[in-house]
Amino acid sequence: MRRHLLATATVAVAALSLAACGTTEPSSDDAAASKKPAGKITLTDAKGTKVTLDGPATKVVATEWNVVEDLVALGVAPVGVADVKGYTAWNTAAPLTGDPKDIGTRGEPSIDTVAALAPDLVVATTDLAPAVVKQLRKVAPVLELTAADGADQIGSMTESVDLIAKATGKETEAEALKKDFEASLADGKKALEDAGLGGAEIASADGYEASNQVSIRAYTGTSLLGAVNEKLGLKNAWKVKGDASYGLATTDVEGLTGLGDVQFTYVANDADGDTFTGPLAKNAVWKSLPFVKDGNVHRLPDGVWMFGGPRSMEAYIDSLVDALTK
Amino acid sequence: MAVIDKTAVGRDRTAAATTGAVAVTATLVLLIAALAAVDITQGTADVGASQVWNALTGNAEAGDASVVIASRLPRMVAAVLVGVALGMAGAALQAVSRNVLAAPDTLAVNAGSYLALGVLAVTGTSLPLLASSGAAFVGGLAAAAVVLGLSGLGKGTVRLVLAGTALALGLNAVTDALLLLFPQQTEGLYRWNQGSVGQNGFDGVVQMAPVVAVGLVGLLLVARRVDALALGDDAAQGLGVSVRGTRVTTVVLATLLSAAAVTLAGPIGFVGLCAPALVRPLTRRFRGLVRSRVGMPVAGLVGAALVLLSDVALRAIVPADTAVEVPTGVVTTVVGGVFLVVMALRTRDTASADAPDRLRIPGRRAFVVTVVALAAVLVGVLLAAVLLGDSKLLLGDVVNWAQGRAGRVVTFVLDTRVPRVTAALLAGGALALSGTLVQAVTRNPLAEPGILGVSGGAGLGAVLLVTTAQAPGSWEIAGAAFGGAAVTATLVFGLAARGGFRQNRLVLLGFGVSSAAAALISLVIVLSDPFDTTKALTWLSGSTYGRTMPDVVPVAVVLAVGVVVAVTRRRELDLVALDEDTPRLLGLGLPRARLGFLVTSVLLAATAVSAAGTIAFVGLVAPHAARALVGRRHVRVVPVALLLGGLLVCLADLAGRTVIAPAQLGAGLMTAVIGAPYFVYLLVRTRR
Repeated sequence: MRRHLLATATVAVAALSLAACGTTEPSSDDAAASKKPAGKITLTDAKGTKVTLDGPATKVVATEWNVVEDLVALGVAPVGVADVKGYTAWNTAAPLTGDPKDIGTRGEPSIDTVAALAPDLVVATTDLAPAVVKQLRKVAPVLELTAADGADQIGSMTESVDLIAKATGKETEAEALKKDFEASLADGKKALEDAGLGGAEIASADGYEASNQVSIRAYTGTSLLGAVNEKLGLKNAWKVKGDASYGLATTDVEGLTGLGDVQFTYVANDADGDTFTGPLAKNAVWKSLPFVKDGNVHRLPDGVWMFGGPRSMEAYIDSLVDALTK
Repeated sequence: MAVIDKTAVGRDRTAAATTGAVAVTATLVLLIAALAAVDITQGTADVGASQVWNALTGNAEAGDASVVIASRLPRMVAAVLVGVALGMAGAALQAVSRNVLAAPDTLAVNAGSYLALGVLAVTGTSLPLLASSGAAFVGGLAAAAVVLGLSGLGKGTVRLVLAGTALALGLNAVTDALLLLFPQQTEGLYRWNQGSVGQNGFDGVVQMAPVVAVGLVGLLLVARRVDALALGDDAAQGLGVSVRGTRVTTVVLATLLSAAAVTLAGPIGFVGLCAPALVRPLTRRFRGLVRSRVGMPVAGLVGAALVLLSDVALRAIVPADTAVEVPTGVVTTVVGGVFLVVMALRTRDTASADAPDRLRIPGRRAFVVTVVALAAVLVGVLLAAVLLGDSKLLLGDVVNWAQGRAGRVVTFVLDTRVPRVTAALLAGGALALSGTLVQAVTRNPLAEPGILGVSGGAGLGAVLLVTTAQAPGSWEIAGAAFGGAAVTATLVFGLAARGGFRQNRLVLLGFGVSSAAAALISLVIVLSDPFDTTKALTWLSGSTYGRTMPDVVPVAVVLAVGVVVAVTRRRELDLVALDEDTPRLLGLGLPRARLGFLVTSVLLAATAVSAAGTIAFVGLVAPHAARALVGRRHVRVVPVALLLGGLLVCLADLAGRTVIAPAQLGAGLMTAVIGAPYFVYLLVRTRR
C-alpha cells in the first residue's frame, strides 16, 4: 500500500515537472537592450539614499496609502497599489485612477507581484521593513519617504509630494497641489474665526471596542490631524503624549475626563460601527463629559484618510469646518 | 462505646475543619477587599483615593462619581467575577478529571471560544453580548469534549495537557489565519485574545453575572457527587452516583463559567490552573477544604485575588495610558507560566520514560525506497514552490535564471522567491533534526523545540532585537534568537535534568516556558508597536516573507554541522535513545553525550527561528513519521526526518504564499493546521 502511494507520488511529480517546461519570458539574450537615454533624474530620498532614474517614472508601484494618494493627486495612475480594497474604502479624497494591480498588504507587499509588474519606480515609506526595501531595490529604484514625522507632519507631507513630483516629472502639478492645500487652510482658518471658534480647544480621536472594553485612539498635537488643527488656529486639548512618528496615543473613556470644555471630533466608519454613538452612548462617564453635554461631539464623514496627503487633508478641513460651524 | 467515641472525634474534626475553612475564606475575602480598594483608585482619569472615597460616600463631583461608577467599579467587579468563574471552573475540571492540570486553557476551551468568536466576526454577524457568549460556549464546549475524549479521564495528566495544547495551537492557528485574511472584520479581536478586564459600564457585568451565578450554583449542587467520584468510579457507582452524568454535567458547567469569563474579558490565561493548585497545599492544613463544596468556592476566591493582583500590579508598574494597551491576560499568563514550572518541579512524576513503542523494523530496501520517493516528492515540491506564486513561471525560466541570462521580470521574481523556498527548506530540515535529537535524548516522543519553549525563547530574543535595534543583520538576529533559545533551553533542560528527564516534568516545564514566552512576545510587540497586529502575528506564526540569501546562511551552516554531528554520532544517538542503563554499561559518558546533542538541537532550533519565525509541530511530526516509516535506527531516521521536515515546511510556505496571493499567510500557521491533527492522532494511537 505504502509503496503504491510512493510510486504514484513519484510518477505524478515527474509528469507535473514535464508539464512545467518552457519559458514565460524570452531570455535576456533575445530581448535586445534598447533603452533610450532620456534626461536622468537624481534625487535623495527621506532615508538619504541617492536614487537615479533614467527619466520621469510612469510605471509606479506604491506600498502605502499616503504615497498612493500623492501619486493619484499628481495625475500619475499607479500600476500597483497595496490593499486596493482598503484604500478604496478609507481614502475617498483621491480615488484610484486606471486599474492598479493589488500587491498584497501594506505591511507585507508581495515582491513577486511587484517584480512581475516591472515598474520604473517603487514608492515606499519608512514603515516598510528594511529587508523588504533592500529586495525591492533589486527590482526597481525605490523612493523611501517618511511615513510620518511627529516633529513636522505637514513638512514631511509636502516633502513627500515634492519628491514624488520630481521622480515623475510632475513639478507643476505639485505646486498647484500645495497651493490648493494652503488656500484650503487659509479659508478654513477664516471660516472658523468668523464662527467665533478661533483658538478653540479641539480633541480628535477614533475608537474601537473589543470584549466590552472601549479603547480610544487620540490624535495628539504631534499627529497630522493635530498639526492641521493647529494651522487652522485651533488648540490641541490632548494631554497624553503621542508616539514619535504618527503622534497617536491610546486611552480609555476615563482618560477623556481631563479634556474639559472642547470640540470633540472623531472618525468612524459604518463597517466597524460607530463606537461613540454605539457602545459609549449609555456610558455614565461619557455622558458626564462637558463636551458631550454641550453637544460638541462631531463625527467626520467616512473616507477621510487621517494619515493621507494634501487631498485628504483638504477633505478633512472641509468636513471639520462644516461640522464645527453647523 | 467505641462508636460514640468515634462520632465525638468526628464531630471535633468537623468543627476544626469548619473553623479552618472559615479562617481561610475570611483571609481571602480581606485580601480581595484590599486589592479591590487599590484597583478602583487606579486608571487614566485623575481620580485617586480621595475622589473615590468622596464618590462612594456620595459627595463627589458628577464627573468623578461617573468615573468610579462606570469605569472603575465595573472593572473591579469584572476582575472578581472572571477570577471566581475561572477558579471554580478549574477546580471543578481538576476534581472531575482527577487531573491537576485540567483547566480552561489546557482543555482548549479558550481556543475554541476564540475560534467561534472569530468565525462570527468574519461572517459579519454582530451579536449582542449574550448571543456571542453562547457562541463562545459552544466553541469552548466542543473543544473541551474533544480533548477530554482524546485524553481519557483520570489517565495520564500529561496526555490531557498535550492534547489540549495541541488542539489549542491548531485552533488558534486557524483563528490567526482568519485575522490575517479579514483584518477589517476582525479588528480588535487580536487584542481581545490577550484578555483584559477593563469594562465599558456595568452592562457586560450585569449580563454575565447571572450566567456565572448559574454555573456556580450548579457546581455547588453537584459538588457532593464530584467528591464521590474521587473514591474511584466503582465506589462512586456503588454509592448510587451516576459517574458519567456527573462528569458531563460538571464539564458543561465549568465550560459555561469559562465561556462567561471569556466573553466578559477575553481569555485570562492560567487562572483556572493556578487557583486550585494554590488551594491544594492549604487542604493539607485545613481538612475542611477537601470537600468540593468548600474547596471550589475557595479556589474561586483565590482566582479573584490572582486576577485583581495582576491588574493592580500592571497598573502600578506601567503608566496609566500604557496600561490601557497592556492586556491583563498577558500578565496572568506570564505568572501562570512561572507557576507551572514550579508545579512541574514539585509533582512526583511516576511516569519515567516510556518503553519505546514497538515498531516493525522495515528492511533496507524499504528504507532506500522511502528515501528515494521522498527525495523525488521533495524535488517536485521545490520545483512547484519556485514556479508557483503570484506570477507563474515555467522551467525554462528557471534554467535561464540559473545561467544568469533570464529576462528582467523572471530574474526579479526568482531572486525574491528562491531565498524564501531555501529558507523554508532549511528551517524545516533544521527543526526536524532538532526534534530528532531532543526526542532521542529525552526518550520522549512528544518532546519538540516548540513545545519545550526553545522556539519561543528564540522568538523572544529575535523580537527583542528587532524592536530595539535599527535594521539588525541576519547574523545578529540569529545570535539574538540563539541567546533567547539558550536561556529557555537551559531553564527547561536544567530543571528537567534533576531526576533524569522524567517525561511529564519535561513537557510541563516546556509548556509553562513556551506559554510565558509567547505572552512576552505579544507584550513586547504591544508595547513597542501597539497598532501593528500583522507584525506580531508574523513573528508568532512563522513566515519566510522578505528573506534574502544572507538570512539563510546561519541556518545552512548550523544544519550542515548538525547533520555531520548526527551522522558521526549515530551509534551514540541510538544508545542514548534506548534507556538509562545500556549506555552506561557500554561505558558511554551519558551526561556529556546528552549535553552535546542538546546544544546542537538548541542551535538548530534557534537558527531555524531566525530564518522563518516560530514554526510549530515540525520538530514533532517529522522524527515521529520518520520512525514510523523506517524504524528507529538513527542512521535511517535522520535522513528521512530531514526530508520530511523540509517537505512539510516547503508545502506550508507554498500554500501560505499562493492561497490568498498577493497577501500572505505565515508558514507556521499552515504547519500548525497540518501538525495539530497529526499530533492528536499520535496521542490516540499511543492510548494504551
